[in-house]
Amino acid sequence: MRSFRMPRFALAIPAWAWLLVFFVAPVAMVVWFSFGYKPGIFGTHANDVLSFDRYLEALSPTFFQTFTNTLWIGIAGTAICLVVGLPVAYWMAVKAPPSRRGLLLALVMVPFWTNFLVRTIGWQVILAPEGWLSTALQSVGIIGGPLDLLYTRGAVLLGVVYNYLPLMILPLFVAFDRVGDPLREASKDLGAGKARTFVRITLPLARPGVIAGVLLVFIPLMGDYITATVLGGAKGNMVGQLVASQFQTAQNWALGSAMAVLLILVIMLTVAIGGLLVWLVTLPFRLQNRLVLGEPEPAASVAPRSQEVAA
Amino acid sequence: MSENRPHVRILASTSAAKIISSELSRRRFLSFAAAAGATGLLAACSPGGATGTAPRATGGELESDLSIYTWGDYDAPDVLAAFTDELGPKITLDSFGSNEELISKLVAAKGTSGYDIVVPTGVFIPQMIENGLLSELNLDLIPNLEYMDPAFLGRAWDPQNAYSICKAWGTTGFVYDKTVITRELTTWADFLDAAQNEASGRMSVLDDPGDLTGAYFWANGIDWNTTDEDELAAAEDFLVNTLAPNIAAFDSYPGGSAIPQGTHVLMQSWNGDSRLGILESPDPDRWQWVFPGPETEIWMDNWAIAAGAPNPEAAHAFINYVLEPENSLAELDYIGYHTGATGIEQAAADAGLPMLDLVFFTPEQIDTMREGEVNEAQQRRVDIWNKTKAAAGA
Repeated sequence: MRSFRMPRFALAIPAWAWLLVFFVAPVAMVVWFSFGYKPGIFGTHANDVLSFDRYLEALSPTFFQTFTNTLWIGIAGTAICLVVGLPVAYWMAVKAPPSRRGLLLALVMVPFWTNFLVRTIGWQVILAPEGWLSTALQSVGIIGGPLDLLYTRGAVLLGVVYNYLPLMILPLFVAFDRVGDPLREASKDLGAGKARTFVRITLPLARPGVIAGVLLVFIPLMGDYITATVLGGAKGNMVGQLVASQFQTAQNWALGSAMAVLLILVIMLTVAIGGLLVWLVTLPFRLQNRLVLGEPEPAASVAPRSQEVAA
Repeated sequence: MSENRPHVRILASTSAAKIISSELSRRRFLSFAAAAGATGLLAACSPGGATGTAPRATGGELESDLSIYTWGDYDAPDVLAAFTDELGPKITLDSFGSNEELISKLVAAKGTSGYDIVVPTGVFIPQMIENGLLSELNLDLIPNLEYMDPAFLGRAWDPQNAYSICKAWGTTGFVYDKTVITRELTTWADFLDAAQNEASGRMSVLDDPGDLTGAYFWANGIDWNTTDEDELAAAEDFLVNTLAPNIAAFDSYPGGSAIPQGTHVLMQSWNGDSRLGILESPDPDRWQWVFPGPETEIWMDNWAIAAGAPNPEAAHAFINYVLEPENSLAELDYIGYHTGATGIEQAAADAGLPMLDLVFFTPEQIDTMREGEVNEAQQRRVDIWNKTKAAAGA
């Protein structure tokens, strides 16, 4: 049965077709709209005169002010998710008994059984100044007055971490799980302590999981304005809302498209800068621990502590 | 997204090398796909276009289904169930959150949306007629129109009621917590003043450009549909620099949770929503509804039939059915807004419904209500609204 073989890329055709129809085409349309203009009060867009004017309009102080706010919530939320999710994922993948891992994974997924908006509004009820949490804390005497958390950035961060934490834990769990015991044992045999094994072996090998987790949390977070609006009120003003208001309320698809394109570019730029920063920060570390196979090149500066070997 | 991986040379058999290299390119594809998907959260919409004319109902047999696209929780379930029991068509409900959402969906579907009945707000109806989104009503099939109060028929946006009939109407005012704001508030100027003083940081405004700018225009005796740039600039200056720092939330439905949970002490709100919120509050006496002077809004939502409606006969039968006085009263009881039927005020009082001063208004009050317009200042109002939001969130 070897007479007919599908070309290898055939496996990728469904994904490419999907991306082409549901990603490339709509984005191309948005880019096209963004060069047009709004023809009158009852029209949404027209493209007979093309210009960059919509981009100039979109580059307003409002956009940057809102974007800064969004970026703050995006970065802080992602950082907290990483700090909270990393130990949990490590524990689930390494320390917890293998027979329980399925159950633990299922527990991480439990919040997804309820609708996103319902979960968020649930927090609104809990955090209300006259809600049960506030009443309980006041009766115990932990806080003097009504709980003043709803409609602050603190509430937004709480909601964001709650909603996105599973998206951080799952890729981290898979990454830690794939590192496997033998490498950790080998590291221990070669004299590394627990902390060094984690920093030098487990964490570098789990790097794809960390990157996936950070992107999975950060990027949807930048586009999510539901959590922020429900829990942050006026303090949860997000840039996604700005784009939505141009499309829906102002019915100015040209300006909305220009904002959307700008947003895509700025998020890509942010991710690139973030990646660059991480690369620069870890550069000295990586230089010091270069693994050189075979004869060392004469010019290469090999670290004196050559017994340390990293993957 | 390019990762700085060290170059790895792999010695492998010819067959294994193929698999390894395709595995590596598969990974590259996946990481590219993840990056592409990541930035692609903002998807596009389809281009607009005019729709064809719809089949008109002639009074023939009712179809077996009826699809209604309306605002969330905007019809009494009992009335819908009774319609199906008595006349047959099964009702499918779907809801939208803004007129713009309704319009974009109908525009994109070009008459194939599958919706029969839609419920747009009056000021959007000329735009919808012009773009061929609505089909003309056959008023012969809606004899119960006679129960409507003529005051709510023949409005400016559809003088002959050729496309639309009043479903419910309401107004914009505000609610405050009497335990925190102890003085009496009666006007929009009082609202703006309290917002900067007692209620600072604990007040909300409606999440709507017209109502946000409206609060300023009404307080200062300016037509809220103004297109005068000086007046709009003055509104922007006040809202962005003076009011915004005091705003805690942009909330269109404070009656849903903010009033029952006591989240804020001053809230701009619609009358029916305020009424439901106060009725649900554990301590209703705390809250005071204000119908503010000197001017305020009137809005009216309307029954209309979408162009290309698949079940026009059932749609006409339904509109006729809800206009029957007893059904109209059931609707009012459920949603808390005046349905425009003649004599419904007496009927509601006879039925002992609570807090009717938030549903019915005196002719003098109605005289101070102004309709909005979707005009060339719409973009400017959205800008002001966005700037206010940015300033409030800073």
